[in-house]
Amino acid sequence: MPIQQKTSLRKALLDGFWSGILALIIFGPISGLVLKGYEVQNELMRPLLIALSVAVGRFLISYLIQTTKGRYYLGKLVGKRDAGVTVASLTKSKYQHLLIPVLVLAGLSVPLLLGKYWLTVVILALIYVLLGLGLNIVVGLAGMLDLGYVAFYAVGAYTLAMGAQYFELGFWTMLPVAAIGAAMFGAMLGFPVLRMHGDYLAIVTLGFGEIIRLVLNNMLEITGGPNGASAPSPTLFGLEFTRRAKQGGIPFHEYFDIAYSPSYKYIFIYLILFVVVCLMILFVTRLKQMPMGRAWEALREDEIACRSLGINHVTVKLSAFMMGAMVGGIAGVFFATYQGFINPSSFTFFESALILAIVVLGGLGSTVGVIVAALVLTILPEALRDFAEYRVLLFGIAMVLMMVWKPRGLIRIKRKAYELGEPTA
Amino acid sequence: MDIYILGQQLLNGLILGSIYGLIAIGYTMVYGIIGMINFAHGDIYMISAYLTAILLSLIFSLGITSLPVVLLLTLFFAMAITGTYGWAIERVAYRPLRGSTRLAPLISAIGMSLVLQSYVQISQGARNQGVPILIKGVLRLGGEEQFVQITYIQILIVIASFIGMAALTYIILRTSLGRQCRATQQDRKMAAILGINTNRIISTVFVIGSSMAALAGVLVTLNYGSFDFYIGFVIGIKAFTAAVLGGIGSLPGAMLGGIVLGMAEGLFSGFVSSDYKDVFAFGLLVLVLVFRPSGLLGKPEIEKV
Amino acid sequence: MMKRSSWKSLLLTIVIGVLAMAGTANAADTIKIGVAGPHTGGYAAFGEQFWRGAEQACKDINAAGGIDGKMIEVVKADDACEPKQAVSVANRLMDVDNVQAVAGHYCSSSTIPASEIYADADILVMTPGSTNPKVTERQMKGVFRMCGRDDQQGAVAANFIINTLKAKRVAVIHDKDSYGQGLADAMIDKMKALGVTEVLYEGLTRGEKDFNSLVTKVKSVKADALFFGGLHTEAGPLVRQLREQGITAAFISGDAINSADFVTAAGGPQYVDGVYMTFGQDPLTLKTGRDVIEKFRADGYEPEGYTLYAYATVQALTAAMDATNSTNLDKMADWLHGNSVNTVLGEKSWDSKGDLKVSDFVMYQWDAKGKFRQL
Repeated sequence: MPIQQKTSLRKALLDGFWSGILALIIFGPISGLVLKGYEVQNELMRPLLIALSVAVGRFLISYLIQTTKGRYYLGKLVGKRDAGVTVASLTKSKYQHLLIPVLVLAGLSVPLLLGKYWLTVVILALIYVLLGLGLNIVVGLAGMLDLGYVAFYAVGAYTLAMGAQYFELGFWTMLPVAAIGAAMFGAMLGFPVLRMHGDYLAIVTLGFGEIIRLVLNNMLEITGGPNGASAPSPTLFGLEFTRRAKQGGIPFHEYFDIAYSPSYKYIFIYLILFVVVCLMILFVTRLKQMPMGRAWEALREDEIACRSLGINHVTVKLSAFMMGAMVGGIAGVFFATYQGFINPSSFTFFESALILAIVVLGGLGSTVGVIVAALVLTILPEALRDFAEYRVLLFGIAMVLMMVWKPRGLIRIKRKAYELGEPTA
Repeated sequence: MDIYILGQQLLNGLILGSIYGLIAIGYTMVYGIIGMINFAHGDIYMISAYLTAILLSLIFSLGITSLPVVLLLTLFFAMAITGTYGWAIERVAYRPLRGSTRLAPLISAIGMSLVLQSYVQISQGARNQGVPILIKGVLRLGGEEQFVQITYIQILIVIASFIGMAALTYIILRTSLGRQCRATQQDRKMAAILGINTNRIISTVFVIGSSMAALAGVLVTLNYGSFDFYIGFVIGIKAFTAAVLGGIGSLPGAMLGGIVLGMAEGLFSGFVSSDYKDVFAFGLLVLVLVFRPSGLLGKPEIEKV
Repeated sequence: MMKRSSWKSLLLTIVIGVLAMAGTANAADTIKIGVAGPHTGGYAAFGEQFWRGAEQACKDINAAGGIDGKMIEVVKADDACEPKQAVSVANRLMDVDNVQAVAGHYCSSSTIPASEIYADADILVMTPGSTNPKVTERQMKGVFRMCGRDDQQGAVAANFIINTLKAKRVAVIHDKDSYGQGLADAMIDKMKALGVTEVLYEGLTRGEKDFNSLVTKVKSVKADALFFGGLHTEAGPLVRQLREQGITAAFISGDAINSADFVTAAGGPQYVDGVYMTFGQDPLTLKTGRDVIEKFRADGYEPEGYTLYAYATVQALTAAMDATNSTNLDKMADWLHGNSVNTVLGEKSWDSKGDLKVSDFVMYQWDAKGKFRQL
């Protein structure tokens, strides 16, 4: 590379010009000619403005990239392309041991800081953290692309609703039942797909996800079909958090003789959910270091090598599927109880895609990454509400940009370091 | 069983299948070359439906009324513009991700699909839109009461899908461009070393795939007469299913998968239950993939050590 | 363990959160009414109708002096017809926007979970468009509706099909959604009471366009009438494909096809010729409605579908606020139960469940010009 490259204004101008023309072709008809019946209405100013801004933007990038400073800043924006594995350093930083207690305390104090609305948003975000953690086991660790993860979520949610409707069982009984039920379901779905690889696996799981949703929708007599079913709220030793008791207990505020606030229910759900999420993070982190977790990662890297070394790929894959499904089921229970009402329209393919986006954006396999990505992807659409109908557009653009900015996810996964001779943690 | 009803249901399945196949070809081409599921493909199809209506109204306002001319002009411009869309999307959302994980472009594609949908909703409104009836006429076999029928536009769809598949298969197998495509598909690095501009080849494939979506978009819009910004989603998933059913990456496979899927849906909803037709279609897909893990016509994956 | 990049991302999350919270200020001397409906996703067209109607009502009421001198303000809320977003947006309306009443939710599956939140916050909600009986069947004091119920509408349709059309072989198709299937089931119940059983009962998938197999099936059962429970987006292609396959059976559907878009969705007025539908009393025939409709038309907007329902909902809510001089749920609900409101859709009053006392569903027929008229 020559040290001193002459900056060419001409090239930048040409780049800008052609980008503008292309933008005009792309945006011209759709945003410039608005259909009114069988006629079109002329709104050509809009695409002209868009094309102009595209042209100017392209010109600036094209010009800046020729200067050293510009290259430096643009390079920062686009993100690095380094591949391969990084290993965590053995020496822990000074504040490492303080970090986790501080985070847990911060998490527990969230209900004190936030109003009801933002609390519900955070609850939803935590539900997605759970979903992300669960799908991360299947996709991130075991390397099986699952596009129908929403099926297990639905199974969990409907287990709670159906259990309450037909057997009058509450949240606490159904939580373990739903976890086991979803895991069983995972095994059932996992079995036929073990032979498949990559995208064939993806489409079959997508198919399963759709089948579950359609069946829930069609079985009107049992599930309520599109009319949905109601789900009970969690109770604290029989105390309920509703204004008037619904499950035959005593309302919480009457028992303690305090004024009623609709926030109590959400604070309670948040606290349980927070504890469950913490336990799940612990569980997943430990799992990764156990033989089972290592077998998952090994199988992801090279299936043939694994099988030749005597790892039973059937049990390994099935266990990943079941663990993932179990976490999804638990998330489903929380979703149903948080919402109080479920119907099949909450369990569409788009939901699966969103959870997958969390896992991929989080950095495939990284627990911290999944948490960050889940928070970003659930809080972002709510934060964008002020933009009204531009919300989805901005959300989509953000998704593309984040992928371009960090193609390997927000947090790069690091292998744990071990020292020879010393007992490892 | 009534032979006419059976015949009509088979025909319904064939037409629906051809539509699936036509869109599935675009999926399969893109998948074939970079191994990526292009979720925005369904929305390209949706864009082309809007283009159809816009172009038709422009062409009519120019005073051109000769049917073949109108049809060809619409097809040409719709394909050219969606081709540009395909190129731009690849350039903006997928190319920067090349060389990272295989799932990164998938997420980018989902984001792109949201962008396209809401872009169209914002610019064109959420309402249903329609196109006037361009091609009239119907072919009926049988008597006054009992008959099997197919409209001319439906005939056109079936023919176009087979011609499209044959033409693309010819390009891939016989031309220099096709050879470069296959080389890029097998080993991108090696192909680049041998002097193939792989970036350009990939872009070309996106352009071709997107214009196939436009071909489908124009004809299908003329057939159903109405569309909205949301149509890409359902049909996109179905076409993708068809592509996988036939063996993703294989052009005749996409066509076959489309027709099998269309027939399965049509016959099941016609003779059993329309409620469960999608359950049956996906169930069939699972069954096929359990016994043929690479689809009907797909080449089995070679497991390398 | 956390590198700088992870801190950055955490920071990003926090910044987004803070920004979003900062963006919510509160105006004091206005009465806020939340208008919730789908503004994104596949049902966005109906959200727009809601918003247009509510916005116009707000303008007109303020021009007439507001409520006791207080101006009203409408707050747009998008639920995308997803229960998940409906709950979020309901909490937001309560907690961030601090609205005093809600006109809203289009999909019944959004209205039901959201109304629980409103009830918890002691806020009255009136839906302009959720026709599912379950919405008001849950013994909630603060839930009202401005529209009829599916069972009332279904009964009108069934009466018409059996008694007027004298149909013997009736096929029923629905869209597997709470509105469509609820309407179809209600129609069948009434029809069975009149002694006719359906010859075909099938669901189609929303978002699809190809119903040819279903249409051929209708042909094979030799139906002389087809009732469709669903929206115009599916009704259009369905009726077109029906006619294209040469089936002349009468096509009857509900209020959701009442939109000029039905003609567009069918691909031309010639296909909707002769289609019957049930709908409330035509507001154009009412004196109260005509001025409002003219106002909409002056803005270049045809007030179709639920536009006027949303308008009437805002009218009813403000009337209750005005009369009780409060925004208290109990007071407003008691007043609405006991009094009637003169709205753009005529005189409306509510029973103890919150349903309209008089449901005035009547039959309409479309003609070959793509217009409809009352029978």
